[in-house]
Amino acid sequence: MTDRALERVFREASARIIGVLAARYRDLDLAEDAFADACAKAVATWADGAPPDDPAAWLYRIAERRLLDELRRRRVRSRLVPDAPLPMPDPEALMLDEARVIPDERLRLIFVCCHPAIAVEARAALTLRLVCGLSLGEIARAFLVSESALAQRLVRAKRKIAEAGIAFEVPEPEAWAERLDAVLASVEIAYAKAHEDAAGTGPHAGFASEMLALTRVLAELMPKEADVLALAALIRFAEARRPARVDAAGLMVPLSDQDPAHWSRVLIDEAERYFEAARVLGRDGVRLLHAAIHRAWCRRRSLAEPPPWADILGLYDRLLVHRDDAVIRLNRIVALAEVEGLGKALASLEALEATALADYLPYHALRADLLRRLGRAKDARDSYDRALALEPNDAERRWLDARLAEVSPGLRLVAKRS
Amino acid sequence: MKYMLSVYANEKAEAAAMSEQDLKDLVGKHRELARDLGKALVVGHGLKDVTTATTVRTRSGKQTVHDGPFAETKEQLGGFYIVDVPDLDAAIAIAKRVPHYKDGSIEIRPLLGGE
Repeated sequence: MTDRALERVFREASARIIGVLAARYRDLDLAEDAFADACAKAVATWADGAPPDDPAAWLYRIAERRLLDELRRRRVRSRLVPDAPLPMPDPEALMLDEARVIPDERLRLIFVCCHPAIAVEARAALTLRLVCGLSLGEIARAFLVSESALAQRLVRAKRKIAEAGIAFEVPEPEAWAERLDAVLASVEIAYAKAHEDAAGTGPHAGFASEMLALTRVLAELMPKEADVLALAALIRFAEARRPARVDAAGLMVPLSDQDPAHWSRVLIDEAERYFEAARVLGRDGVRLLHAAIHRAWCRRRSLAEPPPWADILGLYDRLLVHRDDAVIRLNRIVALAEVEGLGKALASLEALEATALADYLPYHALRADLLRRLGRAKDARDSYDRALALEPNDAERRWLDARLAEVSPGLRLVAKRS
Repeated sequence: MKYMLSVYANEKAEAAAMSEQDLKDLVGKHRELARDLGKALVVGHGLKDVTTATTVRTRSGKQTVHDGPFAETKEQLGGFYIVDVPDLDAAIAIAKRVPHYKDGSIEIRPLLGGE
């Protein structure tokens, strides 16, 4: 097994196994350590041979055994009288064990991670760590904090869960609203990581399917929560377009150039059902409007139909009423350029608070694009350079390189060859 | 699990604003809560106001006695409940039912060894 395949197995198994162990033994740290031990053993054991048919079941078995060993050790330390060793399982029990399905305790795990008694800034991080299996480094980068600060935050949060007696239960429906927002925000952050990676080959490739599954579970459990349904719809609309987001040469394809024939009808249909259910509940919230923007795109049936820029612009205007932030304004300008012209868009862009967006790649990419289309080649080149310096992913980089070549006459030939 | 629910409120503001009837009503609500809690309530009490507080400080082995609370805060400890419930959510649910005259805070802390 390659390192990357291993990593994916671990990541996919992590939430289920930690969830089950933590729910059963009421100790997150113990569950997490046991799972880490099982992963270490898997690395050593699977290196020379083939991995087992069901790697997750294997990891689960080893992790639970480790956890029980540790519990026994602790009991011995505190009582000084060892328990009788566990009986060796007989072959029949082992076979049953092999077939044992890992129960899905992820929802419990999510609600524990997002308990209001846990510091706000720790909730999403804890969810991403335990439910989505992200590494400390990845989470630290997502939240722009140092790894050591994040590690401390997580230790404090886990200690609080253990010491304050936070229940390992899905709360009563009355308590959901309070806890839901933190849960959904965590899912959004995790999905955004997956969505950034258009080609779906990076370390977060597994997340997208994880988030599809997670939102399905959430929607099943909370069919009357508009925000849950809207998020389930949004993720599906966005994910449906994945097959068309990168072309054969590995270049990013802008939304308006994507061929709707390549979008996943199955996901779009699913998304429509969630969207309709959310809309019936009747609140014009931020999540529903975000979903509506994705939906406007997904309703396009072919490249022959004009892109729905006017609808998009109208939706962004409504969104700004609920949440006015620089990123939403930036996205609105993308639509504005198509509806009201490049000059007006550039003026709006330049009116934005540039300091907040100084390190935000889409800001520079949009600016470069507007300048390029306005024929201001030199200014466009500067902006493409700024964008390229902000670590775009592969598909984005290739696309930016190609656009840069268009405004750099001497480079055009080179770009065509590569 | 056992938790202590410490009840805080701005004593001065309340003393100025509350009528005798208000005070009676508040005490009545506390009694009602205590009755509802039944066996979940280990013990609970209101405290006389903070001007009655005396603090004994130990510093480098030396002990001194002071008039007043250990710290000046905007809201003062005015009473406590010790409850025995399954988990934090249950304790939070009780804390939400603790009556206040107007504003107040309840600090919930597990008792050491109270599992």
